[in-house]
Amino acid sequence: MTASALYLRRPAIPGRALLVLGSLLDLAALPLPAAPVDYLHEIKPLLTQHCVRCHGEQKEEGGLRVDTAASMHLGGASGSILRRPAGRESLLEQVLAGTHEDIPAMPYKKPRLAAEEIARIRAWVADGAPAPEREEPGRWEHWAFVPPRRPSPPPLPASLAGWPRNDLDRFIGARLAAAGISPSPEADRITLLRRISLDLTGLPPTPDEVSAFVADQAPAAFERLVDRLLTSPHYGERWARPWLDAARYADSNGYSIDAPRQIWKYRDWVVAAFNRDLPFNQFVIEQLAGDLLPQPTVEQRIATGFNRNTQINQEGGIDPEQFRIESVLDRVNTYGTVFLGLTLSCAQCHDHKFDPISQTEYYRLYAFFNNSVDDGHGDRRSRSTGVLHFDADGRPDDRLEAELAETREQLEALFEQQGTTVEAWRRALPPEQRRKHASASLRAALDVEWARQSFNQRRAVFPLARPEDPAFKALNDRYGTLTRREGKAVSTLVMEELPEPRPSVVFIKGDFTRPGAPVTPGTPAVLPPLRAEKPNRLDLARWTVDANHPLTARVLVNRVWQQYFGRGLVETENDFGSQGTPPSHPELLDWLASELIARGWSLKALHRLIVTSATYRQASRVRPDLETIDPLNRLLARQSRLRLDAEIVRDAALRASGLLVPTLGGPPVFPPQPDGVMSLGQVKREWKPSTGPDRHRRGLYTHFWRATPHPALAVFDAADGFSACTRRLRSNTPLQALTLLNDRQFVEFAEALARRIQSEVPDDLGARIDFAFRCCLARPPSEAEKSRVAELYQQQLTATAGEETARRQAAWLTVARVLLNLDETITRE
Amino acid sequence: MSAPFSPSPTAHPGVPSEGFLLPDPVWLAHRTRRHFLSRCAVGLGGIALASLADAARLGAAPAPSAADLPNPLAPRPPHFRARAKNVIYLFMAGGPSQLELFDYKPKLVALNGQPIPASFIEGKRFAFMDTSHGTKLMGTRRQFAQHGRSGAWVSELFPHTAGIVDDLTIVKSCQATLFNHAPAKLFMNTGSGQFGRPSMGSWLSYGLGSECQDLPGFVVLQSGPRGPRGGAVNWGSGFLPTTYQGVPFRGTGEPILNLTTPEGIAADRQRQTIDAIRDLNLQRAVATGDPEILTRIAAYEMASRMQSSGPELIDLSRESPATLKLYGIEDGRPSFARNCLLARRLVERGVRFVQLYHTNWDSHGGPGENLQSDFEKVCREVDQGQAALVQDLKARGLLQDTLVIWGGEFGRTPMGENRDTTGRNHHIDAFTMWFAGGGTKAGAIIGETDELGFNAVADPLHVHDLHATLLHLLGLDHTRLTFRFQGRDFRLTDVHGKVMTKLFA
Repeated sequence: MTASALYLRRPAIPGRALLVLGSLLDLAALPLPAAPVDYLHEIKPLLTQHCVRCHGEQKEEGGLRVDTAASMHLGGASGSILRRPAGRESLLEQVLAGTHEDIPAMPYKKPRLAAEEIARIRAWVADGAPAPEREEPGRWEHWAFVPPRRPSPPPLPASLAGWPRNDLDRFIGARLAAAGISPSPEADRITLLRRISLDLTGLPPTPDEVSAFVADQAPAAFERLVDRLLTSPHYGERWARPWLDAARYADSNGYSIDAPRQIWKYRDWVVAAFNRDLPFNQFVIEQLAGDLLPQPTVEQRIATGFNRNTQINQEGGIDPEQFRIESVLDRVNTYGTVFLGLTLSCAQCHDHKFDPISQTEYYRLYAFFNNSVDDGHGDRRSRSTGVLHFDADGRPDDRLEAELAETREQLEALFEQQGTTVEAWRRALPPEQRRKHASASLRAALDVEWARQSFNQRRAVFPLARPEDPAFKALNDRYGTLTRREGKAVSTLVMEELPEPRPSVVFIKGDFTRPGAPVTPGTPAVLPPLRAEKPNRLDLARWTVDANHPLTARVLVNRVWQQYFGRGLVETENDFGSQGTPPSHPELLDWLASELIARGWSLKALHRLIVTSATYRQASRVRPDLETIDPLNRLLARQSRLRLDAEIVRDAALRASGLLVPTLGGPPVFPPQPDGVMSLGQVKREWKPSTGPDRHRRGLYTHFWRATPHPALAVFDAADGFSACTRRLRSNTPLQALTLLNDRQFVEFAEALARRIQSEVPDDLGARIDFAFRCCLARPPSEAEKSRVAELYQQQLTATAGEETARRQAAWLTVARVLLNLDETITRE
Repeated sequence: MSAPFSPSPTAHPGVPSEGFLLPDPVWLAHRTRRHFLSRCAVGLGGIALASLADAARLGAAPAPSAADLPNPLAPRPPHFRARAKNVIYLFMAGGPSQLELFDYKPKLVALNGQPIPASFIEGKRFAFMDTSHGTKLMGTRRQFAQHGRSGAWVSELFPHTAGIVDDLTIVKSCQATLFNHAPAKLFMNTGSGQFGRPSMGSWLSYGLGSECQDLPGFVVLQSGPRGPRGGAVNWGSGFLPTTYQGVPFRGTGEPILNLTTPEGIAADRQRQTIDAIRDLNLQRAVATGDPEILTRIAAYEMASRMQSSGPELIDLSRESPATLKLYGIEDGRPSFARNCLLARRLVERGVRFVQLYHTNWDSHGGPGENLQSDFEKVCREVDQGQAALVQDLKARGLLQDTLVIWGGEFGRTPMGENRDTTGRNHHIDAFTMWFAGGGTKAGAIIGETDELGFNAVADPLHVHDLHATLLHLLGLDHTRLTFRFQGRDFRLTDVHGKVMTKLFA
């Protein structure tokens, strides 16, 4: 019995039929225990995993401990749990079977143990419950908090001897063999090419690429293809997207005002980091603490934008400190979700109910992130606000912020110095004089006493009170010039540490108005210790990617896996805690994590490992024989059909129509969207559609407003940028149909495809239909498909009157629209 | 294999061979039927998917009828017998002043201009209190009178609404938690001030599905000078599938984004396009065995029906002149009154949740937001339409199944706020909402505030309680309507919520 089998029988869909089938499967698949039962290897691990949490060192429910055989003999309030009164079962057997009259079935409120496991325990009790004498008590430990060991790939039965392409397949194959299931055959070459192209670059292959690959019959053709795609700059674009989802990237400030922001240099940094295969540990360190590295490069400072993707509330009347704190809380929660795969946010208001994370530990993590210079209002209150400006040549312009801050300080000093005079003037101002000022904001400012006026109000009021002031005009003009220069400059948001850390406290019930005990930076006790005297963010970052950290590498490989198979080995990709789903293949998860580290945290190496496996290369066709035994395809006896991500739905259509402008990076672009979208937000903002090349850039570059995202992205479940998104939904809705059918952009793509079909292929209906299919689906049509499309084309042609060229374009437009709307076109098979 | 439709297990041994192109039609029928039963929770009798697959195998796919295909919005049974089937929520965005409309406070009038008695404000946080806009009590300048058998107080600003008070349940003791617009609106809609939670309309669509197969189950209509603060997140589905999010219908032009067939493409050409997409998708469904393709085919059929039902919905030409007059609809221009009539038409067609937003109720006293002419204007904009809606629903027998909710994200302070003119600030401790139909008690007045209107002193109805009560009226137990996300079971009411049975008829 391997540990992995323990996870087999937790049906994800509760249902009697499944439970029955599940246990039948267990009985069929696993050899029945042969006496004598080995307590230490076959019984104790079961009890440790399922029982010791409540009946062990930490808790002794009912006065009972089951962490040693001796304690079980001794028993608790109800006596020995191993004794078999004449002709009856022991207490242990009864509660596990759920047959005891008074004591509820165990494990309490959890799924029962498998029939085979209970049978094994019975055999052991019947045998007299033999156990070694001096026994170390079993300790409950949640799997995810124990650092991964490096398991050896298991052996495979002879029937699968020829199947594996690398060691990864041994883990999958062994489980399939144990369940009596054979893997699916390899997908055909075209499907494989389209799958790998979409998975590694987010773009379908061109008809030429398909022909070349089909023609290349060399044994290593697929491996060469993988290498080519991994060096494509589009690889970085494709893999940046899920990372940007997790980083809650967007091009606006969020909340109700949702003003635009510049942080696209961070997006470009992520794309470039993937393309140069920056080792993942370094990738993490630079994003969490690039600013604290010795002599950080500009790139390393840009990387810290990860933590600046928090929303900024610019609404009037708010308490800026409240929203600064919100940002810090968001950073802690995001850190927990993205790197640890833990629901840390549960511990914001109270100790975590399920995982060993106390509220104090939450705020000790908070203390790492509580020392940056940015405030809650996006306002200029200090010398630096964490904005990195660039001059016209693209070099960092650190002077701009300093000069602005300096000028502002000088103005503020002047306002302070002349405050009494101005206030006296303001008070003496007759009401009718006040009313004569045209601007409502100036009138409002004049109503506010000087001490309470904002900086900009003072700039407006001051010259009215002191028109001849010698210093004011020069300073104010300079301030205006600098502000305008700032407004035009390319910039990006970065982390910047205060000279002295802010004091951090626990917030009682998570309420920032109720400060509790002070805390110092530190990491949760359940995880390996962080050894540093006064740890800062950089220490936290290094600790996060320590090779012995039990979570980071597992969480990462699981998320990568999820992109390829639609579901992680741990299905709850953002909850590796005790409420999450246990891994379907725990050894494989650990093996992949250790491989990642052994290969220098190279993500490209990890991708290569997965996509060259036989597991990945299987056909995705649904198999009737798996329908009841593995309906969710957790054992991976086949690949899955996955609907493309929102951006890639667009990219695939752009590629098929030949319109794609493959330029990398730069400021966000504005492809057309239906009128009226921008009026749905509180503040109406302009959307001026890009003309020229920017109209046809990849979806990654579309300007993302948090309040009013581009509808063609939102409708296909793009991440919303509000909080870390580690898995997108894949919905399937009528609004998606309306988008692909009627959206102006998609009609534009179809028109281009219709022209392309006619210009690139000689006038032959069959050949043109063939080409159209190859553009959209990479494969040629089946005979049935071809005849249906030919019928459609003829129908359209005869139904239209007018000039031949226009009729043909109209008929091909219909064909192009049909193909761009196919489920298969927006699906990776 | 235990499923009743399944063929003998020996018919499908092991791995399909490479030559395996089409699954057995009997198996496909079984597979798809199981999909309907498990994913759509709706029993379908005697559908002939086997023959459908057979036909597809021969390359001549027939048109599947809409009822045969899976639908994530298919109606689902409630937890217990529902009192209401549909909801029309009239959201008065910005926070209308209860003190000028429903909560008559003679004592406040008497103390006009006085400072606040300390006993009323101890330990309270007020919005914007650090500004110098003043903190003196302000009595209303509006005339109030009692109306109907219930004797409800309604001010002169709502003459039409005053005429229907015996059909309303007026709750004067509503309470919220957050006092800035965007978070407060989110809170009213989702039970949380944080972004990313599903709105109540999404929860209802998720819990109950939709009775309407030609229109979305959750529709949002807007009127007034600008969109509500917070925008689309107010009707977002948060972590629920996007199927359940509110679909904003627009006041002008096409009612749903991309509803109109592209320019230059005739309706028959569009139909032929959708038919061809369906046939090719069906062939792929047979080739891959993937039931998700059937969902997509169904989505295209629904989209196609929406293309015709959408324009039909907004075409008011078949409404009688008497109806248009009742609502006060004088021309085709977008207005709150027109949206009220559309709301009736939507629930008539089985749409589960219709939410109307009307701005601007944010009466701070600044330009466009004063408590005098601006407030009168916004009252006039809604009064006739909302009263007509209740009357019209009642006359057509729809009111018993339709819960109408009226209210903002919060109310206004008993203190005046001095800007260009005098207004009132945001107030979360006591404000008024009203309900009609859907199993609520007609002619009831629930809750009381203290003599100055600062606090609810009887029967407080907090937003969480409102949510629990709303779900209860629709037959859902708010503690059982959950969705697992990030390792936790989330609810509309989070860990709060008490059902207010006093509201029930």
